[in-house]
Amino acid sequence: MGNAKRFILAVLLVSVLFTNGGCSRKDTKSDQLTICFAFQDLETEYWVAAHKAITETLKAKNIRVLQRNAHQDANRQLEQVRDAIAQDVDGIIMIPQDGQSAVTIIGEANKAGIPIGVFNRPPADRSNPALVVVADNTAIAEDAVAYMAKAARRLNRKITPLILVGDLGDQNSIERKNGFYNAVNANPDLFKKPIEVPTKWDAVTTLANLEAALQVEPGVDFIFTSSDFLYPQIKAVLEPLGKWKPIGDAGHVILGGLDGDSTAYKLMREGYVDATGVQDLFFEADAIMKALIEAIEKDRTKPDKWIQDPGFALTQENMAERQMDMWGCRILKEAEAGTTK
Amino acid sequence: MPGGIVLSDHFVLVLTVVYFLLIWSIYPHMAARRNIANLFSNVWPLLALVIGQMFVLIVGGIDLSQTSIMAVTSVLGAMIMAGRFDPAKFEHNPLWGVVFSEQGGLLAGSGWAVPVAIMLMLAVGVGIGFVTGLAVAKLKMPPFMVTLVAMSFFSGLAIYLTRSENIMHLPESFIAVGKGSIGPVPSAMLIVVTLAALAFVILNLSILGRWLYAVGQNIRTACVSGVPTGRVVILAYVFSGFCAGLGSILYSARLEAGRPTLGRNLLLDVIGAAVIGGISLYGGKGRVLAAVYGVLFFVVLDNSLNKMPLEFYSIDIIKGGIILLAALLDALRTRIASRQTVPEGIS
Amino acid sequence: MIEWEIEFDGIGKSFFGARALNEVTFSVGKGKTLGLIGENGAGKSTLMNILGGVFPPDEGTVRLFGKEYNPSCPADAARAGIAFIHQELNLFTNLSVADNLFIDGFPKIGSSPFIDKRRLHKLAAELLSSVNLHVPAATPVEMLTPGERQLVEIARALSRDAQIIIFDEPTTSLTAVETKHPFEIIEKLHAQGRTIIYISHTLEDVLRVSDTIAVLRDGCLVSTGYSRRYSVERMISDMVGRRIEQMYPARNAGPGTASVLQVEGVTQPGIVRDISFELHEKEVLGVFGLMGSGRSELARIIFGLDSCQTGRIRIWGKDVTGSSPDASIRNGLAFVTENRRQEGLLMEAAVSENLDLPSLRKFAGLGPARIIDRRKSLEFANRIAETLKIKSGPVRIQKVKNLSGGNQQKVVIGKWLLTGSAVLILDEPTRGIDVGAKYEVYGTINKLAEEGTAILYISSELEELTGMCDRILVMSNGEIRAEFERRNFDKQKILEAAFSCEVLAGGGRAGHSGLGDNSGN
Repeated sequence: MGNAKRFILAVLLVSVLFTNGGCSRKDTKSDQLTICFAFQDLETEYWVAAHKAITETLKAKNIRVLQRNAHQDANRQLEQVRDAIAQDVDGIIMIPQDGQSAVTIIGEANKAGIPIGVFNRPPADRSNPALVVVADNTAIAEDAVAYMAKAARRLNRKITPLILVGDLGDQNSIERKNGFYNAVNANPDLFKKPIEVPTKWDAVTTLANLEAALQVEPGVDFIFTSSDFLYPQIKAVLEPLGKWKPIGDAGHVILGGLDGDSTAYKLMREGYVDATGVQDLFFEADAIMKALIEAIEKDRTKPDKWIQDPGFALTQENMAERQMDMWGCRILKEAEAGTTK
Repeated sequence: MPGGIVLSDHFVLVLTVVYFLLIWSIYPHMAARRNIANLFSNVWPLLALVIGQMFVLIVGGIDLSQTSIMAVTSVLGAMIMAGRFDPAKFEHNPLWGVVFSEQGGLLAGSGWAVPVAIMLMLAVGVGIGFVTGLAVAKLKMPPFMVTLVAMSFFSGLAIYLTRSENIMHLPESFIAVGKGSIGPVPSAMLIVVTLAALAFVILNLSILGRWLYAVGQNIRTACVSGVPTGRVVILAYVFSGFCAGLGSILYSARLEAGRPTLGRNLLLDVIGAAVIGGISLYGGKGRVLAAVYGVLFFVVLDNSLNKMPLEFYSIDIIKGGIILLAALLDALRTRIASRQTVPEGIS
Repeated sequence: MIEWEIEFDGIGKSFFGARALNEVTFSVGKGKTLGLIGENGAGKSTLMNILGGVFPPDEGTVRLFGKEYNPSCPADAARAGIAFIHQELNLFTNLSVADNLFIDGFPKIGSSPFIDKRRLHKLAAELLSSVNLHVPAATPVEMLTPGERQLVEIARALSRDAQIIIFDEPTTSLTAVETKHPFEIIEKLHAQGRTIIYISHTLEDVLRVSDTIAVLRDGCLVSTGYSRRYSVERMISDMVGRRIEQMYPARNAGPGTASVLQVEGVTQPGIVRDISFELHEKEVLGVFGLMGSGRSELARIIFGLDSCQTGRIRIWGKDVTGSSPDASIRNGLAFVTENRRQEGLLMEAAVSENLDLPSLRKFAGLGPARIIDRRKSLEFANRIAETLKIKSGPVRIQKVKNLSGGNQQKVVIGKWLLTGSAVLILDEPTRGIDVGAKYEVYGTINKLAEEGTAILYISSELEELTGMCDRILVMSNGEIRAEFERRNFDKQKILEAAFSCEVLAGGGRAGHSGLGDNSGN
């Protein structure tokens, strides 16, 4: 019976441990704030830049940052946030995996009375109060595509459009797609039926699917990508087909995207890309941090505010005046100037 | 005598406690009440899975499909229970209008919704386990391959059924199963401790337990001795599928959604905790207590890594390293144990 | 003046407080052959392990040519010229003969790490011819018969120029025909002046090859002397410590008339053909045949481990053809397989866990939980261990892998005693057991028969069969060639029937000349 006894003992020990919770020492509250920054893998330039912007700004404000990477696992992010809550952090900034897990995790923060900010990927609904900064993806996409349509009109022919669609679990992808269609449907005479190429936000998938699409329809002359980080894949497919030509060249394929990273900027500078929808990354980062810190200072436990980043479309037309508003451009210029921020 | 401790059945528990105390001395927050509560709430669902995996490991197999059983049952259960489906997301789903609609899932709103959904989730887990067990036992296919194929198939199926969407708006009563408590005791703890007790009774006291160990140690001898080896193997996989269904209930409740990607990264944790606890990958060995100790260690490790100022990629490196160390230690322990026996002599 | 090659002086050794060797003192002359005999657990293996460098003695010294000999590992023993041919061969079955011969020292091309294949095969061929093994050096070992494999081991020992060679049970896994091989080699080695230690339970063989005999019992040297002063009876009584009146215990009841097992026309192409016989209650029916004659295969078919294409098997009239082993057991069959390690035992489990495995259902408690009544099953296990005189620690804790071979075999037999079967099939039940234990096993078999069990007894030891059985069936090449009643037992005729197919085919190996030294007398 030794085994059974030991087992029961173990269970009792475990339950005792749990219910009494060991020693609950309260950490001495220091003047320094602690914010947990919970994010997913930093796969694209946008996320890398966002991560840098947020962490450096917080550190500059003498705020202690607990960084947690959930590796695109919603359950892990839940555990990490719970852990941060147990550590009595002052606030949480979160980049969720998807809209649904965002709602759940916000709920945890609400229960504990810790203000939480959600960056760029909105929760699926507003059932749980949170600070959310989100770009108006629909409007930004629509603006960019509208400019591209204007450029297309000058060609005096029917255009075959193609859109690289992002992962449909991401609310942003859906909105960007909607923006694209808004602009396209506003010009029914100009466009043939658009071809949708799924990318699942994955470079390899994009390459394969785009190649296949161009095999089926080699006449594509208008491509909108839901995210700038896929430009290398577009180039890899178009170049061997002889379709990678700058503006002015007869074979130029009208290109546009969204995000505003340095690749997009460079390609616009070189004349391959016509327009880019820009999320104002620095505005978004600043806005969320300001809102969160304000909520912390005002002791608001369940702040509820949705901040929208209107963004804008950087086009060949307005490039000269507005390029410094594009975060990718700023990053590129800093790198070229050799200054390390 | 150090050898004595190393060989002891409770070595992993000792290691866990020592490690915990060590981390506590550096990060006093480890023993805070809320941290301990978090720690244990992470233990229960993982333990459910490991207990199931243990049965399969004992008969010398492996079940890689547990995580995708979680995914597909999570989704199916949600389709029965969910209170509301966003048409924007689900309109184009093949099951729209058939199984669920804007008003919710198949039994949404009914008092039966949650019990039926739970039953369904467990039944699907059992069913998938039965099929994989059949392939291993009767068709003699290698478990690694069968369960790998099952994993791939069912996770794909889960994504197909929902078009990658997560299903929200699960009933409160279901969420309470995973997150709620009965008095001071969390319901997850009650459920998993009951499961562990059941497993303990089966393995240590019943005929089935003896048969499981016999099949794992030497299937030929077991067959000659009249053990119905085919049935025993199938039962092991069925139990593993059942536990995966149970794990799915707990994880879905805690994430408040039916998720087609549930458990995607959990396989390393499950197998890792099993190996750390001392359950042999070669079969024939494994105790419920070992599963408990392994999961405990793993969760404490995870919890501690969260406290350290590590670069995020280090966590996977460290976890992998620990599992490797555990496997090496296991080999070392076996060698020490065998040296203490009288050398095999002339007949 | 006799030159002593090996001297054991006051050797003592204990394991965990149990005395394995006690004040053992004797010597082996140079170029002589020593026959070392004793029951299982008498200390033979411990003594040889000390000589072989596996562990040192607690007391006493070993001397080689008068010089103290203190190996710290088996490699030292090999360097001192000692080779150990184990009963369980240590060959790599997936490699070729040549690879196995030179596994720890391949001939290299110059000083490069590459193997000189041509030289490897040449050297291998030389070694093989020195042991009269005529197979190509590139043959994979798994294709060799046990006898041929043994010759490869011997060749390996010779390649290291061993001066002292220890043979451990060399004939146990050999067929009747192959048995003369080791003797030829031993004669050759003897002629070359090497010293040989020969360990075996086949006492006639020991007498034949040895110059001197040493008998161990319970860790002590009981007697030693020239082999001409020994007889089989004296060897047995020295080993066991008492006179054994006869090898085979008497049975108090004869076979019954009721037919328990009926086998009709069982055929499995390539394995057995048209097997038909009847087995009666209280009857001991022997099945004799050479290796490959299909006896074990027949047993496996009857028990349900393998299938048969045509034929019927009936127990008490009920048709049980094609049953699984589980169903066979429930129908009243029991099967002691010939390979206890692979199919007879759970080596890592305790003795009691092995003993009650086939009968667990009998100890199941109430309800669907089928909880085992541990006390009851332990009681039974202890009783069986007592009946069969299994020498082991507490049955609940003692792992089977640590028992001697003979005791392991008793466990294999013992587990079927709990099932109360109507038919017990035994396949080589006394393989690797010493004389004393054999007697106990025979006694158990007789008792079972008296109590009503029908016994199918498969063995390659004709002596045993003629001593124990009421009838003997002779199989050859998958068919039953002859049947002998007890009153008509004639060893010569039985052997002829067993060899019958080969003689007809004109195969060179078997023949009347071969029968002479094989009949054992």
